[in-house]
Amino acid sequence: MSDLARVEGEQRGTICLVRVHGEIDLSNAHEVSSEIGVAMGQEARRLVVDLSDITYLDSAGVALLLRLAERLRSRRRQLQLVVPRGSPVRRVLDFTGLPRVIPLESRLEDALAQRDHAPPDELP
Amino acid sequence: MATRERTPRKRPGGWSYAAGVLLVAVAYYTAAKLGLRLALVGRNITPIWPPTGIAVVAFLVLGRRVWPGVALAAFAVNLPISTGVLPATATAAGNTIAPLVAATLLAKVGFRREIDRLRDATAIVFVGALLSMSISASVGTGVLVASGALPADELPGSWAVWWAGDAMGVLVVAPFVLSLVRPWRRPGRPRWRHLEAAALFVLTATVCLVAIDADPNLMFLVIPLLGWAAWRFQQRGAAPAALLVVVVASWAAAKGVGPFRAGTMLEKMLILQAFNATVAFCSFFFAAVVTERMQAHRALERSAAGLEARVRQRTSQLSEAQQIAHIGSWEWLIPQQRISWSDEMYRIHGHVPQEFPVTFETTVDQVHAEDAARIRSNTEAALQRADDHDLPSIEYRITRPDGAERVLLGTAKVCVGPDREPLRMVGTVQDVTEARKAEREHRIAETLQRGLLPDRLPEVPGLALAARYVPAGADMAVGGDWYDVVELPSGHVGLAIGDVAGHGPRAASTMGQLRMALRAYALEEPSPADVVGRLDRLVSRLLESEIVTLVYLVLDLDSGVVQFANAGHPPPLVVGPGGQASFVDQGLGSPLGCDDPGLTAEASFRLVPGSTLLLYTDGLVERRGVSIDEGLERLATAATDGGQDLEAFCQRLLCSMVEDDTADDVALLAIRPVPLTGRPLLRVPAEPRVLAPLRQTLRRWLRESDADAHVANDILLACGEVCTNVIQHAYGAKEGPLEISLDVHDGTAEVTIRDQGCWRPSSGVHGGYGLPLVQELMESVELTGGPDGTVVRMRRRASSGSER
Repeated sequence: MSDLARVEGEQRGTICLVRVHGEIDLSNAHEVSSEIGVAMGQEARRLVVDLSDITYLDSAGVALLLRLAERLRSRRRQLQLVVPRGSPVRRVLDFTGLPRVIPLESRLEDALAQRDHAPPDELP
Repeated sequence: MATRERTPRKRPGGWSYAAGVLLVAVAYYTAAKLGLRLALVGRNITPIWPPTGIAVVAFLVLGRRVWPGVALAAFAVNLPISTGVLPATATAAGNTIAPLVAATLLAKVGFRREIDRLRDATAIVFVGALLSMSISASVGTGVLVASGALPADELPGSWAVWWAGDAMGVLVVAPFVLSLVRPWRRPGRPRWRHLEAAALFVLTATVCLVAIDADPNLMFLVIPLLGWAAWRFQQRGAAPAALLVVVVASWAAAKGVGPFRAGTMLEKMLILQAFNATVAFCSFFFAAVVTERMQAHRALERSAAGLEARVRQRTSQLSEAQQIAHIGSWEWLIPQQRISWSDEMYRIHGHVPQEFPVTFETTVDQVHAEDAARIRSNTEAALQRADDHDLPSIEYRITRPDGAERVLLGTAKVCVGPDREPLRMVGTVQDVTEARKAEREHRIAETLQRGLLPDRLPEVPGLALAARYVPAGADMAVGGDWYDVVELPSGHVGLAIGDVAGHGPRAASTMGQLRMALRAYALEEPSPADVVGRLDRLVSRLLESEIVTLVYLVLDLDSGVVQFANAGHPPPLVVGPGGQASFVDQGLGSPLGCDDPGLTAEASFRLVPGSTLLLYTDGLVERRGVSIDEGLERLATAATDGGQDLEAFCQRLLCSMVEDDTADDVALLAIRPVPLTGRPLLRVPAEPRVLAPLRQTLRRWLRESDADAHVANDILLACGEVCTNVIQHAYGAKEGPLEISLDVHDGTAEVTIRDQGCWRPSSGVHGGYGLPLVQELMESVELTGGPDGTVVRMRRRASSGSER
């Protein structure tokens, strides 16, 4: 796999935790997307994608996350993001209004502690 | 005799001179005594006076300085028969001066003692005899008259007799003596020649004696015999024969026998001299003419033989030249339908020279079918054209009788006759099989070489690169050294240098495989140790028994950190900003293919700004008779102070480190990070893979421009958005360039992104953020679209002090 981004998956009960390191742009968004898909497995009800170690993410990455959320929703599964405050990617996510569509936590513990909830009805 | 006392001793070689004078004197005196027996007038006028001949020969052979011998002998001869000392002296002087004059004049006219030319015969008759001897005759008869020994009225007759006698002495005796003193040039004549000569003389003598006694008219029988002598033996035969005949005739005249029984003295004299002159002239001229003819004949023969030898030599030289050049030649006489080949033609076609029935058909039979068709059509066309012209040269293949295939290059021309009908065709055939093979191999090697080394180094913003490759020796043999520079997806730069042991196509092809493998691995593996580890497994499994050393480094231009793994390669050299050189000798593992687990050790160092990194192969530091440590030391010394220009730096290192006849090839790669100062212009293809390297460059530029961290992030993101748009929309499915220029002035960063395509902000469901986001991130954004492309110009204050 490319050294631009690295995907590590981990199963925690019904939660699948996927950590993505590195950078996501047009060149590897598709690849990262399919790697997340592979890491997720079949049983997980909820997918937590930890973007704490992402140093660059642009609208190609945002598009990837939105597509992922949509795909999961169609399979009645939930997507949750972890993005620390002050992260370089926070600004692009805020600007695109992504947190209104995909639940976003600043800390991984908070994301993992949450109970399952229904996905939002519609996307912007 | 008194001669001895009078010999000038001061002359060099005095003894031999004295001996010569003595010899001449004796010979003269003896000849004179013999001659006087034939005297007709008184006691001292003879019809033939042999001493003059002796004197002329003496002067011709021994030189005129032997005149005292002649003078003395003449005096000795004349004294008893003269009326006193004075007349004897005068006569002797005349006798000496006449031959002296004769010899001088003969030398002047270029007389040759061999008398083998007509002009020599003419010279001795007219100059040597008739002209010169008038002197002795005049002096002699004058003295006789003056001393009262001769009545004045008898002067003309006596003068004539004296003159004729002296002249005959020259004519008859001189050639005879000359023929004796001439070296016998052809030893080992056949015995029958001697028998023939003996028979000839016996016959001549017999005819003379019988004829004189029996019938004077028969005397003319000797003429054919003289002819025989001259014809068969030239002067060597003619001179003695003439002498013999003249002596016999003169003796007969003196004794009054035969034709000289009756008549006055003058009549006898006239008859005798006429006869003698006839004999002398005949034999002389005949012999001279025959000699001349024979010489001409021999000269012709010699030159013919020389010509023949030259032709033979040239033919064999030509044949040799053809053999060396592998060029054969042929000639086709068209009306006669006859083709002849040079020996080399046969060899080229695999036949024994001159042992193959050559016809047009048998020749073409050996040619490959498709080439044969071309040859036939060329030939037909040439025969139909009614002028002299060259045929197009043609390269064709033949199969020899032993099955070997050869490539030949044929040239030919056709010559037409007066009626424009084709007369002959000539041509050459060159065996170019080896040349074509060599050309092919050279092309392969060239292609290989091109594939082995980067034909140009990539242009990496903020990185200066220079490389050199020097093949081993002067033969330009392909070696096993290589270097490479790879732009990695991360935006880092991969640097490699390696060495496959050996030279030639095998080492080169191994090197080529490794180079490609390294490129592939480098694109996938971020860690140098992993790349080298994979190469190690490749070498172990696929390229056994190869010894490969390699150092692979990944340079992060942003931080200057270099991560590397070294598989048994000479350590990279870093020349610091101050000019001090040091080797990077940590992280050294075994060469590739050694199954050494320690191989994958990875180490790192930081290339501080202003440093130069030098990668090289062992050819640079190895020299006959010098240890490698010493070589490394020399390199460190030579590399101290890298200088401004990287190309010059490489050149300087090669000049000081590499000898002309280097046994190993040398590869050299110098790397120096340089600031992105000024207004960098990045030009890349509009493809997704360029995004990460662009960010690397931008980050560096932003840091060097003192941009705040969060501002840098915003600018980076804005640029990423615009570039992504260009890549996605500007060119459709086609390829096109993407150009980014960076500028900072008054604390404001300005980024201009150009393309040559056509795009507008997209409005897809999940897209559409691009341009608004950019406008949010930057303080000003101008978008200008046109038929020549789109330009986006964005500005943002970079430093926090002026941040809004």
